[in-house]
Amino acid sequence: MRRKLLAAVFLGVAAAQTVRFERSNPPPTGTVQAPATIDAALRGACYDCHSNETRWPWYSAVAPASWLVHRDVVEGRRRLNFSSWADYALDCGTLVQKLEHLRQRVAAGDMAPWYYRALHPTARWTAAERNEFLHWVDAELAASSPDCRER
Amino acid sequence: MESSKTAAWILAPLVFMSLALPVRAEDDAPVVVRFEDRRFEPAELVVPAGAPLRLRVVNSTNEAVEFESFELNRERVVQPGHEIVVYLPALAPGTYTFFDDFHKNAGEGRITAR
Repeated sequence: MRRKLLAAVFLGVAAAQTVRFERSNPPPTGTVQAPATIDAALRGACYDCHSNETRWPWYSAVAPASWLVHRDVVEGRRRLNFSSWADYALDCGTLVQKLEHLRQRVAAGDMAPWYYRALHPTARWTAAERNEFLHWVDAELAASSPDCRER
Repeated sequence: MESSKTAAWILAPLVFMSLALPVRAEDDAPVVVRFEDRRFEPAELVVPAGAPLRLRVVNSTNEAVEFESFELNRERVVQPGHEIVVYLPALAPGTYTFFDDFHKNAGEGRITAR
C-alpha cells in the first residue's frame, strides 16, 4: 500500500514537470529612480515579483513550486512593476496611486508576503528600514502635483 | 472675371482637400469612455496608433470605480460623478483591455489602436 502511494506521488510530481512556464525578464522600460539605500531595499525585497529583473531561483523550474512562483511574478508585475516606473510617470495620477498602494501595503506589513520573507533574508526589513522606505514614498507623494491627486 | 474663375479652379480642390483632412482640434480632444450600469460605454474604442492619447473616464454611477489596464500600465480611481483624464503614450497597433478593478463582474473595455 505504502509503495503504491509513493509511486503515485512520484508519478504525480513527474507528470507535474510537464507543465512548464517561461521564466523571462523583459527589458525594463524605465526603472524607478531612488536613493541607493531605497534602491537596495527594493531590489532585496520587491524586485523578484515586482520588476523585470526577477532572480529566478532553482525551485522556480520545479513543479509545483514553479507554478506558485510564476503566479506571484505575473500577478506582481501586473499590479506594480518597478521596471515600468517611467511609464507610470507619464500619467501622474497612476504614479500617485501606485505610490499610495505601495505605502499602504508596506505600512500594514503585507509586503513582502510572509512566505517570501521566510525564504529571503533581504526581504526582512527592520523597523528603521521600513520607516526610511515610507519616508521616501511620502517624499515622492509630496513632490507630485496636487492635480495628480483626484481622490 | 477670368481671374476669379482661375482662382475658383485653384481654391476649389484646396477647400475639398482641407475638408478631407482630419481636424486638428478633434485630434487633440480626449477620447471619452463612460462607466454606467456596471459597464464601459463604449466598450471598444478605436484610436490612431503611434500618437499619444488622452482618455477621459467619466464615472456616471454613484459608486467609486477603478479604471485599470495591465497592458497600458494604468490604474486610477474615479469617484462617483467625477471624471479623470488618463494620459497614454503612443500606442503600438493592437488591442488593450481595461476593466473596473472595484467591480470585477463589470464588463471589460477595449482600446484598439490602428
